[in-house]
Amino acid sequence: MAFLNNNKSKANIVMLKKSVFVLNSLVSKNIRAQYRNSTLGVVWTVLNPLLNMLVMALVFGQFFGRTMPNIDYPVYVLAGNTVFGLLRMTTTSGLTCMVENYDMLTKTRIPYYVFPVSHLLSAVVNFGFSFIALLIVMLIRIPNGVKFYWTMLMTIVPFLPALMLFSLGIALILATMYVRFRDIKHFYGVILTLWTYLTPLFYNDAILSPKVRYLMNFNPMYHFVKYFRDIVQSGIVPSLESHLIIYGCGIAALTIGLLAFGSQKKKFIMYI
Amino acid sequence: MEDIITEIQYDDLIESTGNTPILSDSYSEVEREILIDVKDVSMLFRLPAEKIDNLKEYFIKFLKRKIKYKDFWVLKNINLQVRRGESLALIGRNGAGKSTLLRLIAGIMEPAKGEITTKGVMAPLLKLGAGFDSNATGKENIFLNGAILGFSKKEMAKKYNSIVEFSELGDFMNVPIKNYSSGMMARLGFSIAVDVKPDILIVDEILAVGDAPFQKKCRTRIKQLQDSGTTFIVVSHSMETLKSLCQKAIWLKDGKIELSGSVAEVSSSYLKYCNEVSLDK
Repeated sequence: MAFLNNNKSKANIVMLKKSVFVLNSLVSKNIRAQYRNSTLGVVWTVLNPLLNMLVMALVFGQFFGRTMPNIDYPVYVLAGNTVFGLLRMTTTSGLTCMVENYDMLTKTRIPYYVFPVSHLLSAVVNFGFSFIALLIVMLIRIPNGVKFYWTMLMTIVPFLPALMLFSLGIALILATMYVRFRDIKHFYGVILTLWTYLTPLFYNDAILSPKVRYLMNFNPMYHFVKYFRDIVQSGIVPSLESHLIIYGCGIAALTIGLLAFGSQKKKFIMYI
Repeated sequence: MEDIITEIQYDDLIESTGNTPILSDSYSEVEREILIDVKDVSMLFRLPAEKIDNLKEYFIKFLKRKIKYKDFWVLKNINLQVRRGESLALIGRNGAGKSTLLRLIAGIMEPAKGEITTKGVMAPLLKLGAGFDSNATGKENIFLNGAILGFSKKEMAKKYNSIVEFSELGDFMNVPIKNYSSGMMARLGFSIAVDVKPDILIVDEILAVGDAPFQKKCRTRIKQLQDSGTTFIVVSHSMETLKSLCQKAIWLKDGKIELSGSVAEVSSSYLKYCNEVSLDK
C-alpha cells in the first residue's frame, strides 16, 4: 500500500510539473497571440487601456465627471476598468476554453484545470499592463491633484488574489456549462454587458437612488472596484468588512466553480 | 534483444477464460518490467439518443421528460500487459474499440470498470495535430507539446534543433500550424514524440499520412527506440507496417479481444476474417 501511495504522489508531482510547463507555454502564447502581426506589438497591451480610457474620459467626463469634483475622472475610469478587465478577460476566454482545446483534451493527457487557469494568468498579465497604463495616467494627472498613496501596494496583496479567486470561480462555472450548453455564450455576452453597466465603472454610485445603491451591495464587482479605488485613489485602508466581502465572494465563487467543474470534468470528453 | 515470443496456446486460453488472454505473462523466466498493465477494463459510453447542446432544447426536452440515453459498451473486460521493449499492434475493424483502448492507456479517459497502470514517460500520438494549438507557430507548438509530455522550456530548447532537423520543417517553424498540411503536422508530432525518448510510444494511424521517405525514416527511428527499450503500441490498418514494426498483436472485435499472439498469426486470421466478411456482403 505504501508503495502504491508513493507511486501516486510521485505521479502527482509529475502531473504538477507538467501543468506548470504547459501553463507557462499557454500563457506566453496567449499574450503573444493578442497582438500578433502588429507593428507596435506588446506596446498595445499598455496602449489599449490608455486609449480606451481616453475615449471614456472624453465621452463620459462631461456627463459624470462633474458629479465627483474631488476625484480625478480619468484615473477613476481607468481604475474601474482595470479591475473589471481582469474579470471580463478571464471569464470570456475561460467560457470557451474547454471546447476550444478539444484536441488537447481528447488526445493528450493533461490536467483540465490548466486551461481555465492559463486564461486567468493571461488576464493577470494584462492586468499588470493596464496597471502600468494607470500609473502613467496618474503621473500625468499629478498637476490636477492626483496623489500616490502607499496603500497602492495593497493592490498586489490582499486585493489581487481575491479578484483572481472570484474570476477563476466564475470562469470554471461558465466553462462547465458551455461544454453542455453552447447557447450560454450568448447569454453570458448579454449578462456581461449588463454587469458592466451595473457596476460603477464610469459613473459615481452617489448619483444612484438609495434603493439602487442598496441593491448594488449584491454586486460583487461593486465591492472589488470600490476596494481598488479606495486604495489607489483615496489612500484609505479598507475596513475589515471590505476584506471579508471580497475574500468571501472569491472563495464562494471558486468553491462553486471547483465543485461544478470537478463533478462534470469526466463527462466533458463525451459532450465536446 | 532476442525476441521472447513463444508459442502459447492462445486459443485454449480464449476457450477457458472467455475473452481475456494475458499477453506474454504465461511464463516467468525473462521478467522485464511491466510498463502497461490493463486489468479487466471495460468502457461505457453514455450518449444522449439525440444531441442536445443548448439550454433551450434541454429544458423543453427535460420538461417533456424526453431525454433518453443510450448505453454503449465500447470495451468489455480487456486484460493485457505489455513489458519494456515489447511492441504491440492493435488491429480490428472500425469501431472495434482500438482507439478507445489507446486513449485509456494514455490516461486521457478513465475506464468505467477495471484498472490501468502505466510506468514511465509516455508519448501518445493519437491524432493529427493533437497537443498542438492551430493558431500557434510550429516553434511554439514544439514547446507546448514538449510541456504536455512533461519537459520544461530549457529541456525542449536543447532538443529543438534535432526535432526540426528530423521533421525537415526548418522553413516552416514560424508559420502557424493551421497552414500546415496533414503530412507536415504528422511529421512535427512524430519528430517531437521520438525525440523525447519515451518509455512508451503510442501511435494511432497517423504515420500513414507521411510520404514514403519519411515513413521509412520513422520506421528506422522506431526500430532504434525499440532497441533502446521503448515500448511501442500502434493501431494501423496496414498489415505490412505492423509486421515490420511489431512482435505481437491483439485483434479487437466488438470491444473484446478476439485473438492475441504473434503479429503474423493474428494478422493472418484477421485478414481471413476480413475476406469472409467482404464475401458475405
